[in-house]
Amino acid sequence: MGGGELRITAGWTVAGIIALALIVSVGLTLSDMRLASSQTITLVAKRSEVEVPLDDPFARVWNRANPVEAPLSAQNITPPKGGGDRTITARALHDGERLYILMEWDDDSEDLLVSRQAEFSDAAAVQFPVAPGENVPAFCMGDPTSPVNIWQWKAAWQADMEQGFVDVQDAYPDMQVDLYPFEEEAEFYPARAVGNVFAQDDRTTAVDNLLAGSFGTLTQAPDQVVQGTGVWRDGSWRLVFARDLNVGEDYSQFAEEESTNIAFAVWDGARGERDGIKSVSQFLTLEVSPDVAEPGGGVTVWIIVVVVLGAVALTLVLALYGRQRQNG
Amino acid sequence: MAKVYNWQLGREMDYRFPEAHPQWQFAAVFNINRCIACQTCTMACKSTWTFSRGQEFMWWNNVETKPYGGYPHHWDVKLLQLLEEANPGGQVWNGAQQGDRQPYGIYQGQTIFEAAAEAGNETALGYLPTEQEWTAPNLYEDTAKGPQGARNKLHSEGTRLPEHNTWFFYLQRICNHCTYPGCVAACPRNAIYKRPEDGIVLIDQERCRGYRKCVEQCPYKKSMYRPNMRVSEKCVGCYPRVEGSDPLTKGIPMEARCMATCVGKIRMQGLVRIEDGDWAEDASNPLYYLVRKERVALPLYPQFGTEPNIYYIPPRWVPRPYLRQMFGPGVDEAIDRYTNPSRELQAVLQLFRASQKIIFRYEIEEGEKVLDTEINGRPFQMYNDTVIGFDKEGNEAVRLSLEEPFHVRSEQYQNSI
Ligand code: SF4
Ligand code: SF4
Repeated sequence: MGGGELRITAGWTVAGIIALALIVSVGLTLSDMRLASSQTITLVAKRSEVEVPLDDPFARVWNRANPVEAPLSAQNITPPKGGGDRTITARALHDGERLYILMEWDDDSEDLLVSRQAEFSDAAAVQFPVAPGENVPAFCMGDPTSPVNIWQWKAAWQADMEQGFVDVQDAYPDMQVDLYPFEEEAEFYPARAVGNVFAQDDRTTAVDNLLAGSFGTLTQAPDQVVQGTGVWRDGSWRLVFARDLNVGEDYSQFAEEESTNIAFAVWDGARGERDGIKSVSQFLTLEVSPDVAEPGGGVTVWIIVVVVLGAVALTLVLALYGRQRQNG
Repeated sequence: MAKVYNWQLGREMDYRFPEAHPQWQFAAVFNINRCIACQTCTMACKSTWTFSRGQEFMWWNNVETKPYGGYPHHWDVKLLQLLEEANPGGQVWNGAQQGDRQPYGIYQGQTIFEAAAEAGNETALGYLPTEQEWTAPNLYEDTAKGPQGARNKLHSEGTRLPEHNTWFFYLQRICNHCTYPGCVAACPRNAIYKRPEDGIVLIDQERCRGYRKCVEQCPYKKSMYRPNMRVSEKCVGCYPRVEGSDPLTKGIPMEARCMATCVGKIRMQGLVRIEDGDWAEDASNPLYYLVRKERVALPLYPQFGTEPNIYYIPPRWVPRPYLRQMFGPGVDEAIDRYTNPSRELQAVLQLFRASQKIIFRYEIEEGEKVLDTEINGRPFQMYNDTVIGFDKEGNEAVRLSLEEPFHVRSEQYQNSI
C-alpha cells in the first residue's frame, strides 16, 4: 500500500462529492426549488394560462407553481405574545389580472367557530408593504412611514359564508329564551349597527383586507377587495388568496416584472391563538414574473428524487471504482 | 411599562400607559351590610342593557353569595391563586396607615400587571373563564361557611359577633370603571377607553375584534364576549343617565339603573372630582366623605392593582382574615367606624338611594338628641339631624331626617289602600 494509491482513492471521493453537489444544484435549479433560510427567499408568481379557481386550493393548476417553504416562529415582540415554530409552504401565480397566493400548513384540528366563550377560529394572513421599494417595513405590522397591507383569512368567516351566519341558536340548538324585546331594532346589536365587520351577518368574503402602520394600529380597509378559500384536509389547511393586481395606491401594488415583499402568519384556534398570539415569518421577496407557468412544476419532487438517487448511485459507483483501482 | 401612582396600594406601580386621569370619576359605595340579595339591581341592568340575543349569559350587574358563589364561578379564588403562584408568600401589606395618600398602608406584593411583567407575554395576569364558569350565575346562593374542615355542618355558635362562625354575605358586583383598568391595558387593539369626562370605561364596538384579551385580563371578569356580535361588551355605567341625557331629570346627572333601583338602599353612586391624579379634597361630596375621610368603604381586591372605583362597607359579621384578603388592611377600621358611627356618618348613610339624581354635595342641619344608649359596649348617641343632598346644579335633590317621620292615618282612611 503506497501513498500514491491513497491519493488516488481520496481523489475519486472528492470527485464524487463535487459531482454530487453539482448534480443537486442542477436539479434544484431545474426544479426551481429554493431553500428557505433567510430573507433572500423568493416566491415567484408566474403567469398562468390556465384558470386559477378561487374556491379550490387543491386545483391542479397549482402543480405549475413552484413551492417555497417559509419558516414561522412565535411572535415575541409585543404582548400578547405567542405562537410557535412552524413551516408553511407557499406558492404564487397570476393571470395578468389577479394575483393568487397559496398557503399550506399543518393543523391537527379544523377550528371554524367563534360562538362559544373560549372558542377561537383558525386563521392565516399574508402581509405586503403598501408601497414596494427599498424601505421594507418592519415585518411585524409595519411602521408608520411604511405601512403594510394585510389579508387575513378567517375560518369562522368562511363558515359564515358557507353555512349562513353562525348565531347563538346554531351554537346552542337546545337553548330556550322566552322573549327578546325589540328584537328587530338595530341599536341592540351595537357592533353590527356601527358597521363592525366582525358582526356583519352578510359576508361577501372570508378575507379581511387590513392596513397597519405599527402594533395596535391594524384597521380594516374601506375596500374589501380580497377573496380567499381554505380547505382543511387530513391535518392541514390549504388556502388560496386572490386579489386584482391593481386596486389603486392605498393597497399593496403588484405588476409583472416587479418585486415586492410578502410575509406569512398562522393562527391555531384550538390553542387560543388570536391577535399577536401567532406564528409569523420574516419578509420574503415576491416576484411577479412574465414567464408562463408550465405544467410540470408538480414533477419537482420527482426531479429531486431522481437527482438525489442518481447522485448517490454515481458516488457509489465512483467509490467502488476507486476501491477496485486501489485493490488492483 | 410606565409608573403610575395607585393610592389604594400606597405606592407606584407598573402600568401599560402613563397616568392620565379623567376630570370626574364614576364611583359608588355599596353597603354590603344592608343587601338582601333581591337581585333587583341585576334585573334592572338586564332589562336595560343585556336582553338581546347573544347576551343571554351576560350579567353586567350580579350579586353573588360569598365565600362560595361567584360569577363566573370562583373568579376571585382563581385569580388570587394565580397571583399567589406568581409570587408565593409575597402578597402582603404593610398595613401601617401613612396619611391620606396611603390610607391602607403599602402593598408589598405584586399586582396583576407586575406579576405578568417577568414573563412579558401578557400585560396582566389573568385567565379566560370556560363556558361552564359563566353558567349558573347565582350558584351557591345563601350557602354558608361552616366550621373549618367539616362538611354540611353549621357551627354550634354560629352567629355570635364580632365574627360569625357560620357565615355568608352578598357581594354586589359591577364593572369598577377602574382608574388603571386591566381591560384597557390588555387590549392589543386599543379599542377600550376611559372617558375623560367621567372615567367610565367603554369598549369601542367598531374597533373591537373579539380577541377577548379584556375578558382574560379584567380581574373582576366584567368584560364579556357576545358570540353573535363576535366582540366583547361590558357595563357602560349607564352613561346616558350619568351624562344627564335621560329625559326624566331634564339634563341633571342621574345614578345608574342598578343604583337607582336598589331595594335595600345599599348603593350610592356619584362622580368624584379628580385633581392631580387623585380625588380632589371635597368632604361635602358623600362619596369622598365615606371613602377618603371616614374610610368606612373600601375597594374590592385592591391588590389586583387596577384601582377599582366601587367601594364596599364590609359586612361586620364576617371573619376578618377573609375580609382583609378581599378589601385590604382597612377592614378593621372600616368595621369599627361603621358599627360605632359618628354623628355625620349616621346622617350621610341616609342619603343612599334617596334620589335618582346624583348627589354632588350634602349639608347637615343639626337636630335634637333622640337616643343616648350603649351599643357594643360603647356609648351611642343619635341626633335627629337632617341631611340635604344637592344635585349637579346645586339644587336640593333630597332632604331626610334621621328619625323617620311617623304618620298616623285618619279614621276616615283606616282601611283604604
Ligand atoms: S337591589 Fe340592592 S339589595 Fe337588592 S340585590 Fe341589588 S344591591 Fe342588594
Ligand atoms: S372592572 Fe374590569 S372591565 Fe371594568 S374597568 Fe376594571 S378592568 Fe375594565
